[in-house]
Amino acid sequence: MKEDTTSRIHPGIEQAQTQLQQGRISRRDFLRVATLLGASLPFASVLAACGGGTTTTAPPPVDPVAPAEPTLGAIKRGGVLRVGIAVQAVDHPARFSWTESANAFRHVFEYLTETDENNITHPLLLESWEASDDLTVWTLNLRQGIKWTNGDELVAEHVRYNFGEWLNPDVGSSILGLWEGFLTIDGVEVVDDYTVRLNLSAPKLDVPENLYHYPAVIMHPSFNGDVKTGTNPSTGPYTLTEYVVDERAKFTRREDYWQLGEDGDPLPYLDAVEFIDLGTDRTSYVAAMQTGAIHTMYEPNVENYLSLRDDPNIVVYSVDTSQARVLRMRVDQEPWSDNRVRTALKMCQDREQILSVAYNNEGLIGHDVHVSPVQPEFAPMDTPAYDPEGAKALLAEAGFPDGLSFNLSVGTGWTDVVSYAETLQQDAQPGGFNITLDTMPNNAYWDIWTETTVGITPWTHRPLAVMLLPLAYIADEAGNPVPWNETRWVDEEFSTLLRQAQGTLDIEARRSIMADLQRIQNERGPVAIAVWQRVWEVFNPAFQGVVAHPTLHNQWLRVWYDPDLDPRA
Amino acid sequence: MLKLLLRRFLFLIVTLFAVSVTVFAISELAPGDMATNVLGNTITPDQRASFNAQNGLDQPALTRYRRWMLGSDREAAQLIGAPVDRFYDTENNQTNWWVVGSNETIYRHRSEDGEVILQLERALLPDGKLGPSRIVALGDEIWVTNDEGEEIFWGVNEDGRAAMWIRGLNQSEERLTRAGWISTAGAPSAYIPLQKGLLRGDPGISLITRQPVIDTLVPRLLNTLFLAGIAFVIIMPLALFLGVIAGLYEGRPLDRVLSVGGLVATATPEFASGVFLIVIFAVWLGWFPGAVVIPPGTSIFEQPQMLILPIMTLMLVELGYVLRVTRASMSEVLRTNYIRTAVLKGLPYWQVIWRHALRNALLAPITVIMLHINWLIGGIVVVETLFGFPGLGSYVLASALNNDVFALQAATMILVVIAVVSQLLADLIYVYLNPRIRYT
Repeated sequence: MKEDTTSRIHPGIEQAQTQLQQGRISRRDFLRVATLLGASLPFASVLAACGGGTTTTAPPPVDPVAPAEPTLGAIKRGGVLRVGIAVQAVDHPARFSWTESANAFRHVFEYLTETDENNITHPLLLESWEASDDLTVWTLNLRQGIKWTNGDELVAEHVRYNFGEWLNPDVGSSILGLWEGFLTIDGVEVVDDYTVRLNLSAPKLDVPENLYHYPAVIMHPSFNGDVKTGTNPSTGPYTLTEYVVDERAKFTRREDYWQLGEDGDPLPYLDAVEFIDLGTDRTSYVAAMQTGAIHTMYEPNVENYLSLRDDPNIVVYSVDTSQARVLRMRVDQEPWSDNRVRTALKMCQDREQILSVAYNNEGLIGHDVHVSPVQPEFAPMDTPAYDPEGAKALLAEAGFPDGLSFNLSVGTGWTDVVSYAETLQQDAQPGGFNITLDTMPNNAYWDIWTETTVGITPWTHRPLAVMLLPLAYIADEAGNPVPWNETRWVDEEFSTLLRQAQGTLDIEARRSIMADLQRIQNERGPVAIAVWQRVWEVFNPAFQGVVAHPTLHNQWLRVWYDPDLDPRA
Repeated sequence: MLKLLLRRFLFLIVTLFAVSVTVFAISELAPGDMATNVLGNTITPDQRASFNAQNGLDQPALTRYRRWMLGSDREAAQLIGAPVDRFYDTENNQTNWWVVGSNETIYRHRSEDGEVILQLERALLPDGKLGPSRIVALGDEIWVTNDEGEEIFWGVNEDGRAAMWIRGLNQSEERLTRAGWISTAGAPSAYIPLQKGLLRGDPGISLITRQPVIDTLVPRLLNTLFLAGIAFVIIMPLALFLGVIAGLYEGRPLDRVLSVGGLVATATPEFASGVFLIVIFAVWLGWFPGAVVIPPGTSIFEQPQMLILPIMTLMLVELGYVLRVTRASMSEVLRTNYIRTAVLKGLPYWQVIWRHALRNALLAPITVIMLHINWLIGGIVVVETLFGFPGLGSYVLASALNNDVFALQAATMILVVIAVVSQLLADLIYVYLNPRIRYT
């Protein structure tokens, strides 16, 4: 453990440690808060052990968070991983709006931090970070000696360049929404070559997590504007050797990557990663998996999972997420401006049935609140009941005694969205809703997702609720809804509480704010969320060291290939 | 014969012209504004106006049609006073337009204030690559006075468009660069987006990938021609052969098996039969690949075994259809008087079939087959999608889904050309087989 991490312990960590001792927060919550505030994970584990050991609810001495260490010598080098995934048209990484694009380029470029599959964030290009006690000044300490492929060393000025891109409204990055109201480029201060200080205008808790927002890869200031070209300097473990939109991409191992493997040589273990785009139809991906033509596929849906899980030549890894298909209603349009209409529709969801029909019982029940039970700050809630009679009465009260007909925009490429919509269509009939499904290809849905009146939008996982809510449920400084606020729902009390939650370190205090936030969104919010999805990784068993990440973020940095285990070899 | 050929050829030209007008008109009439389709609905009116001007969308439809077909580089070259051409820049992996100067240099222009034009020069190296660059400020002598008394300068701007600056007019424009929208001063007052035109093999730059459409289109077309070509060569002779056999043995068990089998295969849609084939041959038996996976660095031509299942799927659909048409035609011919005469005058059976029956019996199937060339090229989108095959059909589908207008127009035109040409071929073969219409 390094001297610099022990020299100063954030008061929040001590507070969390006390809570852990008293058994008021879980060990995982403690680790999360401690690492959020800049303690390294091994150090936090020691603190947790020190704290937990004196109480009656002592945690097991074995560290449950650390991944099982592979035995030295088991790791083999070499091999090519072939991935079935869309190869998308992209230009500026800050404008990525798809995980697929980020998954491609996270092989080449890197983030300042990294959030693991347990929703714990670690430094990556950073060595460490420190937050001021009031969470308004964050000091980011860069790891020294990291070289770009052009020979330059990564320095603080490069990080500032990236903040400039992210915070520039002309670039149009979704990252801007995360910092809106907290940080302008003037607040990004280069202290020395390896230190950047973020001077925030309001307390913010999720700074390290936001640095791992999927478009936030660190680019060299000489970035030519087109990430596809493969000529931009990079720091990551692979370099881009080919990128053909809609067809394929290839990432080849870089020899002098800064992270070392178990065997003491630079990572990664694999020689190359190949992306194969098999089009929009998932059948071809499944067929390619079944015949071993590809080793893994991106984002298998429920049907894909069901058809692959019993295949002896495929291993499945799964994890619960805060990813959901969000039924969202635009509150600036009639009749959805009336909360009674929105509430009535929410009451028409038979959640158990939706989970069973659309998701084959794989997932968690939602509460019409964009906070998932897997997120640490989630305040437990009662499952809303299916109540078509109540919905009908509420609709009548809102001025629709004869029921209400409306169109629901549905992207048919998401088969679970279609089943969800069809189940809802039936469940809502007795409640007085006559739903017409306005079906379209997924791309057509993405063209109108912020504009359509009622639609089902897929939202990806975020490790903390305080990261997601500001993206979609607040207004910017000028009072206009932020770009991704697809429902235009802006609630003053909600926004104030959310700002407060974003600055509250103490988990219990935050959870009690979240209880209010969740209540408000449940009572008068613009969205219905019936189910939280589970995600899977499906793999050829020869690939070892695979973990399912809730956002399906994959870099395959530490994955290795054992030809002896390959059923296709 | 020559007259007929000429007439058909003329007819082909007229058809293609009509089709190009139609394709252009359809994409004109397509719902929505192109700027919104491409840039999303969050753009400001200024951004929309700049986008339309920069892409020539503010021009009359006739001008745009002319540029689309014949290109705009010549009119631009005339205005600039020097030729313009495309060059590939290895540094940013981009093909773009430059003014070609004398002494192996190429230029582009920009202005920061509408007063001084800066010329970016790059040397043209002997190996065709672009050499080092330098920037020169141009003097007053470049300005030309036009009819309205304004001092103007035509050049090629940094985005590779011909652009006209008016001296002293320091206006701003919204530019969508790869780093996002940028409002820049010293903007040109008029633009001509440069392209060589469809007839000269350049359908423009894709709005989605920002790469020349032709760079993606050609490999996709080759892939599809490869798949369709092999399918055609296997399916058609086989279908004709089996159809003739079925016609000869009309009503016997062999005919029943072939006819009913063909009907069942044709009646099953290809997305269903394709999945059956994948399950049986790829998943259970593991004989053939179940999807067309083309790893980087290889091409479909190196792994023809990937085509087996797509071709079998196409075969199931096509075979029965052509087989049944041939069978019906054959059995009809066999009932005619001249065949009876030939048999009665004592000719050997196979000679009757070969010399007298077959030629006439093939007339109907040939027409059907030629019509199916077009179906094979454009209509295999279902099969391409099912197997993840990177062909023209899936390209058309993706362009339509992405609102990539130039790509869609070009791909559609290619499909139409194939249809019209194959129709011409069909007519010629028909004339050869049926002397009765030879000179009409």
